[in-house]
Amino acid sequence: MATNSNGELLSPDLLAKLERMELVSRKIFRGRMKGERRSRRKGQSVEFADFRNYVPGDDLRFIDWNTYARLDRLFLKMFMEEEDLHFYALIDSSPSMDFGEPTKFRYARQLAAALGFIGLVRGDRVKVLSMGESASNPAPALRGRHQLWRMLEYLQGLEPNEQFTLADAAKSFCVRNSGKGILVLISDLMDKTGYEQALRYLLAQDFDIYLIHLLSVEEFEPEVQGDLQLVDCEDGDVAEVTVTAPLLRRYKQTLSAFIEQARDFCNRRGILYFPARNDVPVDRLISGYLRQRGLVR
Amino acid sequence: MLPSLMNMLSWWQWLILAAVPPAIIALYFLKLKRRPLEVPSTYLWHKSIEDLHVNTIWQRLRRNLLLFLQLLLVLLVMLAVLRPGMKGAKLLGNRFIFLIDNSASMQSTDLEGSRLENAKRSAREAIELMQPGDVAMVVSFSDIPKVEQMFTENKRALLHSVDEIKPTSRSTSLSEALKVASGLANPGRSASDATDVQVAEAKPATLYIFSDGKFPEPSIALGNLEPVYMPIGTDDATNVGIAVFNVRRNESRPEQLQAFARLENHSKAEAAVAVDLLLDDAMIDSARFQIGPGEAQGFERDLGELETGKLQLVITQADFFTAEGVAMKDQLPADNQAWTVARKGRPANVLLITSGCEPLQFALSTGLATKLANVTIETPDVLQDEKNEYYEREAVGAYDLILYDRCRPKRMPQANTFFIGAMPVTAIELAAEKEGEEPRRIEIWQAGERAAGPRIIDIDSSHPLTQWIAMDNVLIAEAAPIKVPAGGSVLVESQAGPMLVIAPREGFEDLVLAFPFNEEKAGDDGIKRVTAVTNWHGRSSFPVFMLNLLQYFGGGRGGLDALSARPGGQVALQGPEPEKPLDIHTPSGDRESVPVDRLGRGKYGNTEELGIYEVQAGGKPIDYFSVNLFDQGESDIGVRQEIQLGHVPVKGRTSNWEPARREWWKYILLAGFLLLLFEWWVYHRRVYV
Repeated sequence: MATNSNGELLSPDLLAKLERMELVSRKIFRGRMKGERRSRRKGQSVEFADFRNYVPGDDLRFIDWNTYARLDRLFLKMFMEEEDLHFYALIDSSPSMDFGEPTKFRYARQLAAALGFIGLVRGDRVKVLSMGESASNPAPALRGRHQLWRMLEYLQGLEPNEQFTLADAAKSFCVRNSGKGILVLISDLMDKTGYEQALRYLLAQDFDIYLIHLLSVEEFEPEVQGDLQLVDCEDGDVAEVTVTAPLLRRYKQTLSAFIEQARDFCNRRGILYFPARNDVPVDRLISGYLRQRGLVR
Repeated sequence: MLPSLMNMLSWWQWLILAAVPPAIIALYFLKLKRRPLEVPSTYLWHKSIEDLHVNTIWQRLRRNLLLFLQLLLVLLVMLAVLRPGMKGAKLLGNRFIFLIDNSASMQSTDLEGSRLENAKRSAREAIELMQPGDVAMVVSFSDIPKVEQMFTENKRALLHSVDEIKPTSRSTSLSEALKVASGLANPGRSASDATDVQVAEAKPATLYIFSDGKFPEPSIALGNLEPVYMPIGTDDATNVGIAVFNVRRNESRPEQLQAFARLENHSKAEAAVAVDLLLDDAMIDSARFQIGPGEAQGFERDLGELETGKLQLVITQADFFTAEGVAMKDQLPADNQAWTVARKGRPANVLLITSGCEPLQFALSTGLATKLANVTIETPDVLQDEKNEYYEREAVGAYDLILYDRCRPKRMPQANTFFIGAMPVTAIELAAEKEGEEPRRIEIWQAGERAAGPRIIDIDSSHPLTQWIAMDNVLIAEAAPIKVPAGGSVLVESQAGPMLVIAPREGFEDLVLAFPFNEEKAGDDGIKRVTAVTNWHGRSSFPVFMLNLLQYFGGGRGGLDALSARPGGQVALQGPEPEKPLDIHTPSGDRESVPVDRLGRGKYGNTEELGIYEVQAGGKPIDYFSVNLFDQGESDIGVRQEIQLGHVPVKGRTSNWEPARREWWKYILLAGFLLLLFEWWVYHRRVYV
């Protein structure tokens, strides 16, 4: 595990590894400030990108006079514009995340902190927030690596005890945050009303969405036996089951169908879907799997 | 089965029993005390059991193998408690001895297969009826019993041993088999004068006898044996058998031989019989007879001046016609053939050593005596020196009989002897008591004090030597009675003591007469005169005795036909050379080697097969013997329905076994137990995925 057990979310080792990484966006975004990130938008910077024909109204300062002298035609010189990136990490803080060893919630926070740190180091605008974000403790928008402590402080203060539906939480997030940049949603998607509506809200905002579907080992391989009364920790719903081999087989079928369904839903809509287990260390997930799939580099 | 069930429970007990399974199902639903367990979300679980909730109750039952197993188990236990049974059969007691007759008569085909097959089938049935814990023993018997299987619980071993029983051509004797059987049931008693102590615990047993009952009644106390006689065979079985078949001299023309046979009809119907006589496998005669029920028919055929030849008599056809006109066939093939071998007898070699005895010399020179024996006469001088030819010849067994008239050899000869007025020289040497002394010799044969005029009072007329003789009119002047040695028997007894004694010696026999026929005595004038000691040689009993003597000591060599042995009987063989094994060629062509002792004598006992056996020495046939059934008891194949066992009449059982109730509850409980194991397995299987 990349953290020590006393609550440190990020270990120095992991931080060192993360420093060399950066977040990758598949879309071109325009940030509010010029950043370190090269945007595909051509603009004012030192790095030359291309020429294009002059059309009336263009800034005369960018006309390439040398070309004009040689070809007797007006060309406009275009430069790469460097931008900052908006990075959002949205953590599911429903009680169902408070299961597993380490708990899925802690794992989600570690993941969010790590990704957020990469953003901070690269000068991106980072906002890490829980889904049931309360008005009393709004998530700060951070920039620069010196803001790391604030991010960690905020994350440490989060508790997995908020009751909400994914759809409502997504809706309220969209209202409060503009729809540009990278959004990493870390959730177990265990919502009886469904996760599809929530994702649709987020898609409508034109985020570059990454979904990390986090499930605990216990959910993959339930170690239950006998006649049980299963109580849902979120709504107290009761399911009476007699655990038999066929039932366990059936549960696993249902689980894999659930994962396939989510993956399929995401793939159709351009959301990058990552299944994750809480027994895979965070650093391995980031440096291995997420890197391979293109969230970081 | 049902009536027995109805008897056991009343209607309300049935109702209670019937209520048990529904109660279990009800309990099954009530019993579910589920353990609460908090999970992140019941979302997936609900989805998983969604379709199980359709038709919940039936789905549940369908899925619940354990419930069914439990119901089944309870039903089985209930069934076992009801103690179901079936009408079956059982055997009496719990220790059984199965005596199976495999004698010749059991080969009869009056029952399908043969009687033996039927007996074996009945025995197998009985073994199948044995309860767990019962033990049984299988004994087959003909004239000797054979323990096929000792007491065991193992039914498979018992059945196998029954299957292994093979038919024999032997006669039947139950008493030996009963002795074997009663060994365990009636343990020996150590009976001293004062006390009578039982040496082992008596184990009563039921004795099942599978036989046709054709055996001499055994006189044995059954004690703890409970006999059950299972007669095998039918009463109206038909059989014609050859009871006698031999070769003898034609009475009117002694130089010619004659084959003689006797056929017996052992059935209740008249038989039409055809026989063939074969000489060296070529048919030389055939004949047809009508033999009335229970009657016999003789058959004679002149063989001319035949030297040797193998003779075979075969019943080729035997049809039986009952009063109703039903035709039947012969049902025992074993006695439909008989064999014998004609051979010219060799006269016995007899040596008479005498200084002159007219009666003896005369008796050995009659016409019949010269036919029976080649007699050589020597004087006692030949006995003086051990280098004499006499000693060389007797050492190799050149003589069959040597008569010593008033003389003794230096050592006993390799021959039978007849000492007349002298004692054999057999003695036991004892080690010397003191050093330097001669070893002490104790004479086995000793004469008592001479007695004047002993009168003969008894003759052993059962012995071949002294049969048909009467000696009441014989006078004896003087004789020294013989002290009878161990193993000897007195043939002629007088007032003064034994006068004629015979005793065995290393395969030979020594015959001793206590008085000579005449004596040389010096008279008053000093001149030796021969005087008669007895007038026996003037009586008619003397030539008869001499003939007996030649036949008895020379008879084995002088027969006209080969020895006929009973199946399984022992045959004594005489080889030409000492310690050189003889080869026996059995009728089926097998070869067997028989060792012989230093006198060339051997014994052969593997005579189960009927037919002619050839004895060879050095590749040359030297003798033959035949094995024939010749047993009226076996040929008479009717079945006795009641037998006597030690004065106890035992009636044949007509219905097979004792009716009994066959319990099933053990098997049902066993099935229940297996089910329980299966249930346990299923339970654990569902828990540990």
